[in-house]
Amino acid sequence: MRRGFRAVVAARNDTSIAMSTLTKFSATPFTGPAPTNRDPFIPAGVEAIDARAAEIAPSHPALQRESGQDMATFDVPPEAIVDVLRTLKANGYTMPLDLWAVDYPHRDKRFDVLYQLYSLKSNERVRLKVRVGEEEAIPTGTGVFKGLDWYERETFDMFGVRFDGHPNLRRILCHEAFQGHALRKDYDPAQRWVLTEKDVARIIPKIDPRFEDVDTDFERVTLNLGPSHPATHGTLRIVVTLDGETIIGADQEIGYLHRCFEKMSETHTYQQVMPYTDRLNYCSAFINNVGYSLTVEKLLGITAPPRAQHIRLILSEFMRIADHLVCLGTNLVDMGALTNFWYLFQPREEIYGLIEACCGARLLPSYCRIGGLAVDAPSDFLQNAQRLVNMLPKYIDDVEKLIDKNKIFLDRVVGIAPISAEAAIDYGFTGPCLRACGVAYDVRKASPYLGYETYDWQVPIADGGDTFARYLVRMEEMRQSLKILQQAINRGLPDGPVIVDNPYVALPPKAKVYNEMESLIYHFKLIMHGIQPPVGETYFPVEGGNGELGFHIVSDGTKNPYRVRCRPPCFQIYSAFPDMIIGQTIPDAIAALGSLNIIAGELDH
Amino acid sequence: MQVTKVSPGVVKVTGAHMGVLERLYIPQVLAGMVVTMKHLVKNLFNLKKLPTISYPEEKRVYSERFRGRHILTSREDGTTRCVACYMCSTACPAECITIEAGEDERTREKFPVRYDIDLLRCIFCGYCVDACPEDAIYMTRDYEMAIDSRARSVVGLRDLVVPPNFPVAPMGWRPYYGSVDKKGTAGGTGLGQARRDAPFDDDAPANPDVYAGA
Repeated sequence: MRRGFRAVVAARNDTSIAMSTLTKFSATPFTGPAPTNRDPFIPAGVEAIDARAAEIAPSHPALQRESGQDMATFDVPPEAIVDVLRTLKANGYTMPLDLWAVDYPHRDKRFDVLYQLYSLKSNERVRLKVRVGEEEAIPTGTGVFKGLDWYERETFDMFGVRFDGHPNLRRILCHEAFQGHALRKDYDPAQRWVLTEKDVARIIPKIDPRFEDVDTDFERVTLNLGPSHPATHGTLRIVVTLDGETIIGADQEIGYLHRCFEKMSETHTYQQVMPYTDRLNYCSAFINNVGYSLTVEKLLGITAPPRAQHIRLILSEFMRIADHLVCLGTNLVDMGALTNFWYLFQPREEIYGLIEACCGARLLPSYCRIGGLAVDAPSDFLQNAQRLVNMLPKYIDDVEKLIDKNKIFLDRVVGIAPISAEAAIDYGFTGPCLRACGVAYDVRKASPYLGYETYDWQVPIADGGDTFARYLVRMEEMRQSLKILQQAINRGLPDGPVIVDNPYVALPPKAKVYNEMESLIYHFKLIMHGIQPPVGETYFPVEGGNGELGFHIVSDGTKNPYRVRCRPPCFQIYSAFPDMIIGQTIPDAIAALGSLNIIAGELDH
Repeated sequence: MQVTKVSPGVVKVTGAHMGVLERLYIPQVLAGMVVTMKHLVKNLFNLKKLPTISYPEEKRVYSERFRGRHILTSREDGTTRCVACYMCSTACPAECITIEAGEDERTREKFPVRYDIDLLRCIFCGYCVDACPEDAIYMTRDYEMAIDSRARSVVGLRDLVVPPNFPVAPMGWRPYYGSVDKKGTAGGTGLGQARRDAPFDDDAPANPDVYAGA
C-alpha cells in the first residue's frame, strides 16, 4: 500500500477533506443511467418544437419537416433553397445566423449543408438542411442575405461544396496553394501545403460604383494594410484602393490565424476540446469555455450544479467587461488617446488576477469542465469580486471624463463608418455592433442561460451604428455587467459541489480515486474512453464578448465529436467591413476597425 | 453619455449634451488634463502602490493554483511516484508527454524509463494533473521557462523528478479533492504540509498588497 500513501494519510487526518469528499460523493457506486452510445439525443421540449415546425412548414412547399431536433428543422432540396430563403426572410427570418456543412462520406449525398436563420420579431430560429453530393452545386443565397457571402466561401473552402452564382467563390481560411478541402472526413491532415510568393492571390479591390465615374485630380493608389500592422490588432489584411485620401474600394484577406479548431475538435475527446475553445476569442476566453460546456451539457441532458452556474455567470460577466476594456482601450490608442489605455488595462489585470486565483491561468483559463468547473472557487472569491466591482466604475468614469465631451475624439468617431440596422441584420451582426444600430438583440435576454433572466439589467442600444455608437454601447454594457455582478455577489454562492456527481461525465474526486477501486475504474474509463454523448446534434448560443457565440455539435456516440461548428460573431461583422469604410479615410477605417473588436483567433477559428 | 429607458429591459445610450463652452476644444482638453493630473499626484504620493511591476527585480505573486512548469513527486523511499500508466499523455490535448515504461525487477512495479514533456507544445491546461491517479504530477508556480534552443524545450525525468518530502503545499495546480482549504486562494488540500514559499520563487514577493489574492 505504498502508492498514494501520503494522500491516504492526509485524507484521514484532515477532517475537512474527509467530510466534504465523503458526503458529497457517497461510497456507493453511481446508480444513475449509464449513457450508451446507441441512445438518440432527445432534446428538451421536443413536442413544442415539432408543433412549431409544423406551423412554419406550410409557408413553402419545399420545406420537409424533420422531427426530433432541438430547433425547427427542415430538409430543402438544393434547387429550392434560394426561394425558401426568400420566403422565410419575408416571414420575419431576417437574420442569417450561420451556414456550415457536415460531411458523411459513406452517404450517397455526402454533405449536409445547414443554414440557420433567426427571426428578431418572434425570437425563433429555423435550421435548413440541404443534402448535396460531391459533384452537385447549391444556388447561392448571397442575393437574399449578404451575410451568406463569407459563409458560403468558408463552406466551399472547407468542404468543396460549390455555390452557383456566388460573386467571389474563392478560398477564405486556407491559402491559395492549399489542395483539397480540410474538413472533409477523408482529408489527410498530415499533409503540408507551402505557400510560395507566386501563389499568393493578388487582391485588387473592386471600385465601388459610387466612385467609378468620379473624376478627381488624384491618382488612384492601392494600399495594403496589414497583416502585421499594429493598427489591425491581429493578423488581418485589408487592401484598399484610395482616391486621394478617400477609400473607394476595399477587400480583406483572413485566415492568417487559422488553427483548424473545427478539424482538431474531431480528433480530440469532448473534454480535450475545452483548451482549444480558449483560443477562439482570447480576450474573453472564459465565455467560450462556458458556451462549449453548455452545448455538450445540453447534448448530455445534464445541468451543472447551481454553485458552478453561479461562478460561471460571475466570471462570464467579468470576462465580458475585460473584453470591452481591451476593445475600447486599444481603439482609443489607435486614435491617439493613450492615457485611456492605461486606465482601462489596469482593471483588466485585476480581472485576470481573479480568474487566475480560480484556475491558475490568466488569459486561457480552461476552467470549465463538462458538467461544472475544474475546481471550486477560492474561499475569498466573492470578496475579491466585490473589490473589483467597487474599483471598476472609477476607471470607467475616468475614461468617460477624458473623452466623452472631448471634441478631438468626437470628431474622429461621430458618423464614422456607419451601418444601418437593416444592413447589419442582413449581414448577421450580433452583439454590441448590432445593438449600436438600435437593435436590442442580446442572447442573454432572447434565450437566457445560467439564470440571466433572474437579474435586473437592461440591454443598451444606440442610434446610428457608427464608431461612436459602438463606443457608447460598450461603455454602458460594462456598467450593466457590473449591475449583474453586484446582484450576483449579493446573492452569494450557493452551497454544494461544483461538478455533477456522474462518473460518466466528471472525474471522481482524487481522495476516492486513491482509495477506492470503483472510482479508480471510473477515472480510467473516463480518461481513456471520454464522455460519450447520445447520437444527435444540437446548437447552443451564448452572448460572447462581441456577439452570439454558438456551438453546434454533432455526436455519433463516440468519445470524439463528429463535428464541432463554432459560430464566431466576428466573422459576420468583419465581412461587412468594406461596406462600412467605403467613402471614408484610412484613419477613420482604423478607428472603425478597432471599434468592431475583430479578434483574429475567433475570426479565423 | 446619457442613458434613457426606451422599453422594459432596453436602454438607449446617447452622447453627452454639449454646451457652448464644451464645444470649444480647449476647455474639455483641460478637463481631461485634470483627470490625468489627479492620477499623477495620487501615484506620486503612493509610489508603493503603483500597479506596475519592475520585472525581473520584482515579480508578480501568483495564486497557489498557478499552472506553471511540472514536477514529478517521489515516494519516501526515493522512487518516483509515477507508474507509467499513460493517463497524463492520454488526457493531454496537446500531445506533449512521451512516456516509456519499464519494470522494476525486484518489486515488479512499473515505472517510467523515460518521461518527456515538450514545454513548447505544452499549453499548461493542467489536464495531466487531473488525470494522474497516483498523485505524481503536479504543476508549480514556476513560469520562467525561457530557453535558447528548441532541443532544451523537452524536459525529462532528470528535470522533472523532485526528491521525497518536497514541499508541495504552496505550489501550483494540484489534484482537486472536491473541497477548498480554509486559507482561501489555494486549490487542493495542501496535503497537511506546512505552508512555505514556493521553492522556485526564491525572490521576495512583489507588491503583495496590490496583487495578493486577486
